[in-house]
Formats: sequence, structure tokens, C-alpha cells
Amino acid sequence: MSANTIDVALLKKMFLSGAKNLDNNKEYINELNVFPVPDGDTGTNMTMTIMSAANDVFNLENPDMVTLCKSISSGSLRGARGNSGVILSQLLRGFTKVAKGYDTLDVAILSAACDKAVETAYKAVMKPKEGTILTVARGIAEKAAELFENGEEDINAFYQACLEHGQKVLDSTPDLLPVLKEAGVVDSGGEGLLTFLRGAYEAFCGKEIEFSMDNDTKKKAETTRKLPTDQPVSAVPEDIKFGYCTEFIILLEGKVFNIQMENEFKDFLESIGDSIVCVPDEELVKVHVHTNDPGLAIQRALKYGQLTNLKIDNMRLENKEKVEKENAKAAETAAAPEEKEEPKETGFISVAAGSGFADIFRNLGADYVIEGGQTMNPSTEDMLNAISQINAKTIYILPNNSNIIMAANQARDLTEDKEIIVIPTKTVPQGISALISFVPEMSGAENEAAMTEAISLVKTGQITYAVRDTSIDGHEIHQGDYMGLSDKSILSNGTDLENVFEETVKGLVDDMTEIISIYYGSDVKEEDAVALKDKIAENYPNCDIDLQNGGQPVYYYVISAE
Amino acid sequence: MPKVAILTDSNSGITQSEGREMGIRVIPMPFRINGVDYFEDINLTQEEFYAKLKEGGDISTSQPSPQDVTDTWDELLKEYDQVVYIPMSSGLSSSCQTAIMLADDYDGKVEVVNNQRISVTQRASIRDAMLLAKKGLNAKEIKDKLEADKFHSSIYITLDTLYYLKKGGRITPAAAAIGTLLKIKPVLQIQGEKLDEFAKARTIAQAKTMMINAVKNDREGRVSENGKYKTVLQIAHSDNLGAAKVFAGELKDVFPDVDDIEINALSLSVSCHIGPGALAVAVSRVETE
Repeated sequence: MSANTIDVALLKKMFLSGAKNLDNNKEYINELNVFPVPDGDTGTNMTMTIMSAANDVFNLENPDMVTLCKSISSGSLRGARGNSGVILSQLLRGFTKVAKGYDTLDVAILSAACDKAVETAYKAVMKPKEGTILTVARGIAEKAAELFENGEEDINAFYQACLEHGQKVLDSTPDLLPVLKEAGVVDSGGEGLLTFLRGAYEAFCGKEIEFSMDNDTKKKAETTRKLPTDQPVSAVPEDIKFGYCTEFIILLEGKVFNIQMENEFKDFLESIGDSIVCVPDEELVKVHVHTNDPGLAIQRALKYGQLTNLKIDNMRLENKEKVEKENAKAAETAAAPEEKEEPKETGFISVAAGSGFADIFRNLGADYVIEGGQTMNPSTEDMLNAISQINAKTIYILPNNSNIIMAANQARDLTEDKEIIVIPTKTVPQGISALISFVPEMSGAENEAAMTEAISLVKTGQITYAVRDTSIDGHEIHQGDYMGLSDKSILSNGTDLENVFEETVKGLVDDMTEIISIYYGSDVKEEDAVALKDKIAENYPNCDIDLQNGGQPVYYYVISAE
Repeated sequence: MPKVAILTDSNSGITQSEGREMGIRVIPMPFRINGVDYFEDINLTQEEFYAKLKEGGDISTSQPSPQDVTDTWDELLKEYDQVVYIPMSSGLSSSCQTAIMLADDYDGKVEVVNNQRISVTQRASIRDAMLLAKKGLNAKEIKDKLEADKFHSSIYITLDTLYYLKKGGRITPAAAAIGTLLKIKPVLQIQGEKLDEFAKARTIAQAKTMMINAVKNDREGRVSENGKYKTVLQIAHSDNLGAAKVFAGELKDVFPDVDDIEINALSLSVSCHIGPGALAVAVSRVETE
């Protein structure tokens, strides 16, 4: 195939094909994580970033170049999550800035667009790091410029050469970033970018792709967008896929319900519905599922024991009533003159995974807690949503994860009617301390300084398990090991959780430490946490020890020393 | 030139013997501990008080009885022409209100100062009152001058624990605002009539920095109006002298122009609400000699 131009219809196909390819390979990209933590998610983040745009693009009928470019740019910008996602959205934004000025793209324009893409992305990152997606993008842009200067006009040859060079740069990322080398992986963001470009290339070559929003991705995107309360009701009954909200409790009465049975049961529930909750206790299992056939769920559950507290609601009918009621109410309020409440001075948005953490933040005055964290990076749009929910003149955002800060900054840049201050908290304990040190009487700038200062006084440790064998910072790590991570490195690893915990604490505490906070996760029993706390209290008699239920997934313990 | 007596209550932190040395009178505040009445510094020492507080004793405060107040006035008026009475802040106790009402019957011979001071800032007011009396001002003039300086002081207090504040339930706005699950060192501010939350810190080191910054702002700003007026810095504490001394050293580094930073115990009426282990710093505008 040889061609000298790409028109708008082809560009649309290429974009969708690239998005699809990213989606197909996201799991592989997820695994290219330096730290073998169970929640590496570069692939998911990049996919969700691009899917947000792909959905808009897919629905465009015979767009012109300007419309298509706008759709790609704004869709990915709003859907951006995670650092790689934000960078990808900036690359697309830069690329489309150039592309939208033409009806068809040739090598000269493509090369200029690549250049603009890289320039835009570098600007969006405060401290650009080499050996990442940025390096790969820059390598491609440089190759593109070189090819153009050498008089290449055939896009096929041009594209192939760019891809090949991109792969070369990607393969060299471990030489630029020692952590990659030690972990034996290439940069995951760079891999994601190439995966996208390869998908786009396939469409260029004429391969027909069937683009549809993958259910899983869509569902995931929707759940994070969902608001905890006061969600305006707009869903029509047809939107409900599974109609019966089914809840019951299984009484175990001494019968065994082990993890394997739990997983089997969950799998079964997943095959008949969604919104599944299945929480086993020692004596009972609490079950919640949305399904079209509650009978199946009940029948299956009877295998494990007697049932009690059964409740089945028809959500389609309820929703219809609710919508009617809301609409009536909306009509009423629309008729009445709108009374806008005076905005308060300050509001706070915090990101956290785990009900305990969410409670702590709310208790400390957070107006809105976005569910998310390492496992699920909220998107720029999630942030914008939260911002729109808070009627305040100034809103502080605590991202509480290094991979969420950029999405927060992007939300800040997209907000015009409120002052947004992003406090670059990288861990939940940093967020807690920053929020605590807010002083209502001080100005925004003074608070920003004070809260940022508070971050620097917090050292955070997190304990999780390794998903593969690797070696980092001289630590030989085996799959299934417990690992204690500090803000920057691995503090300890091993097969004994208690040991790893103690070693991690030791790595965090110094002479200046006054308080050690321990937040235990959803997979930890309270009595185990209390026992560990008592041990720590004994080892560090000069420190205050604070034990809290963080309820976070994946991380057994989050620890901070201040 | 009228002969003016200065009178305060034990919330100022001025002990009976100190008062005698200074030539002023101090009305002791009554306490009720486990059903028994005590008077601060008369039959209740700081040590006894903290021992009972830590034991979890049931402690309540009340205002001095009107009888005690008027008896003291009558006694002073035998020797002096006028009395200036500086009770604790009207925002924290009704004793000031009661005294104002009682003074109505004294034909201007007794002036009750409502300048909303407590503890070390109240103490600074007493010194001002003494200075003004020495300069020859009458009771009414002294009262007016002190009240004009009502807002030219503030106290910041870091609590070691929220326990007593919650238990007392009396300082509700502050307690409510910081009613949280976490271990937090609340920093309270007394300015004017209210004791309220100023900020929160995770550690004492952080809280001290916050207090120093706040006091620095106040001192440069509304208290001295950029050095136009003289100010004093004071430290107060509840059963926490060691930390107070260290804090004084740290403050001297930040404020090299201040020659002396006085350390006083917080009055028991404040301590019973905030508990032992608290550390405070205050800045007040004062009269020049």
C-alpha cells in the first residue's frame, strides 16, 4: 500500500483502530510495571484515556478534520487518567493542533504534528524524565523530521520507519532508566504509545477493524464517573441492564465457606449479573447482586446454607418512578426563580480508595472524596465532576498518588469559574497531613505553602505483595512475597508479613518522629492490626502510635511517620 | 490625683503572693472538684489540681460569688478612692457581666474592665493598668484605655490531647470542629471573646511552627501595627514547664529583638478545659513607660 496523504475518514479509522489495539493489549502493558505491585495499570489508564475520545469519535458521522481533531483532543483530555494517560492526551492534543488546519495530511504535516505533539507533552510535565513515553514520542518525532527532510513522501514507508525507530527507542529505555533495567522491563507508557500507533498503522494498511466499546472498559469508566450521592436521575429504564436488585444473607451455621467457594460463587454471580458484593464473615455471607434472574442467585446460594433477610427490588420500575418524580421536581424548580446559594470560601477534594480513608477525609472536612488510588486512577473528568459538585470559591485537590497529580493539574487548567489549587500529595497520609494543616484564616497562597510544607514532613510506607519475581534496589523479590515500599524504594520484603511490617516501620522512623500512623486495609483483620500496633508501641516508646481502619484494597498496611 | 486600686481574678495567673508583691489584689476563682469547693491558690495548688484532673476528677468552675466581689471592693475603697477590676474575658465566663451589674451601685468608684483577656494577656493588662494608675489616670480613663486595646492581643495554644476539651463540652465550637478520629494536636486561638480552633497539626513540632508564624503575623500586623506600638511575648503552659522553656529558646531565635519572654502557668480555669501538657504563646500590645 502506498499513499501520499491521509484524509479525514482514514484518520478516524486509524484513531479507532489504535484505540482498539491499546485496549486489546492493556493487560500486557499493565504487567510492565517496575514495582511488581498487584495494581500496575498503565495499560488500563492509557486505554481509558483513549476510549473516552474513541467513543466520541466513533459517534461522529462524516466529520470534517476540525471536528474530528476537536473530538480526539477534548475527549482524551477529559478522559485522561494516570501520568501516561495525561501525557498521551497531551500528545494527541498537540498532534491535532497542527492536523486540524488541513483537509488531508501528508508527510510534511505529519512530521510537524508529531513535533507539536512532543512539544505540548513536554510542557505538560513539570520534570520530564527520560526513558519514558516522552522519550519514545520524541524519538518518533525526530525520525519523522529526518524522513521529511530527506524527501520521503510515501506515508507507508514513513510510518514504518517511524514505528521501527520508536521500537528502538523503547528498547533503549532500560538504559536510560536504571529501575527499568533492574526490573527487566521496557517503559510501559512507551509500549502503550507504540501499541496505539501500530493499531493505527493496521487501519492505514487497510485492515478493517470492528470498533465497539468494550463492555468491561465502558463499565469501568462508568463506575468511576458515578457520583456517590445526589446524582441527578436521568437514566431511563432501558439503561438498566440487570433489573432486580437482589440482597440476602447466607447463614453458614458452622459450614465452611472458603476463599475458593467465595470465588466460585462470585464467578457465578458475575455470569448472571453485575454490581456484585459478596462479603463472608465467620458466620454469614452478605450477598448483593443486580441480575435479571434472582432465582438463580438464590438457588445457588442455598448450596452454602440457609438464607435470611432476602430483599428483591425491581429497579426498572423504581427507576421509572424516580425519574418521573425527579422530572416533576425539576419542572417545579424550573418554574420557581432559581436561588443560587452563596458559594463558601473553600472546598476540598480528596482521592482515596477504602471506606476508612474516605471517612477520615470527610471527617477532616473534605467535601468530596473521589474513590480511587493506585488501583484506579480517576480521570480529569472525574475531577471536573467533583469540582462542579462543590459550591466554593477556592477548591483544593489532594490527589494522594503521584499518578493522579497530572490529571488534577489538567482539571485545574480546564476550570474557569473557580480557583483550583492542587496540593501535590503523593500518598494518602500526605493528603491527611496536608488537610490537617489547612488554616481557614490564611490566604490560598499561604495555605498552599503550608500544606505543601506539611507533605515534606510525612514519610509513607505501604505494604503489599509481589505479582512476579524481580529484583529492585538489591532486593531479590519472589512472586507472592510481602513488600514494604517507601516513597521511593523498597524497604523490605519477605514471606512474613509481621517482619516486613516491622522492617518497613524501621525504615521510616528516625529520631525526629513523633507519631506513627498505621492504616490497615480491607484484607487485614482488626485484631492482627492491633497486635502489630502494640508491638510497634513497645519498640518505639517515644512515639505516639495511631491505628486507623483505612479499608484500602491491595495494600495490607499504609504507614506514616511524622 | 485619685488613688486607684487594681484588682483582678486568679485567671490572670497572678498568684496571691505575686499580687501582694505587685501591690494589687487577686480574687481567687472557685472550683468544685468531686463535690468539694476549692479556691485557686488559697486551698488548691497547681499540683493538687493537676493530680485531680489526671485522676479523672469531676471538675467544674464557677464565677466568684457576688458577695466576695463586693466585699473586696468595699475593703479596697476604705483605702483607695477608686477600683479598677479586670476579670477574665466576658466571652468565657459571666463573672464580668455580674461585676458590671454590681458596679452600678458604686457611683463610678468601681470600673469593671471588659477587655476580653485571659491568662497571660490578662496579666499584661494588669501591668498596663498599674502603669496608667501610676501616671495619674483615674479609674474610668484606665478602663477606657484598656478596652481600646481589647483586640490587640492573641493567644495560641497547642493541646496535647482532645480528651479534656471533648469531656468539658463547654468550648463547643472548637470541640465540634475538631471532633475527628485521628490523633491530632489542635491549635486554638483566643482572640477577643472566643476560644476557637485556629489550626490542626499532626506533631508538636509542626504545631509550634504554626503558632510562631501566627504570632509573628499578629505581632507585626494588628498588635504592633508595624512596630508603632510596644508589644510583649509571653509563654504559658499547663503542667508543661520543660517544654515551655525549650519553646522560649526557640522563640528567642525567631524574635531576636525581644529581650525577655516570660513563662507563666495557664490559669486553672483554662487548664481544666484543655488538660495538662498544653503549650501557648501570646502577644499583646502594652503601654510604654
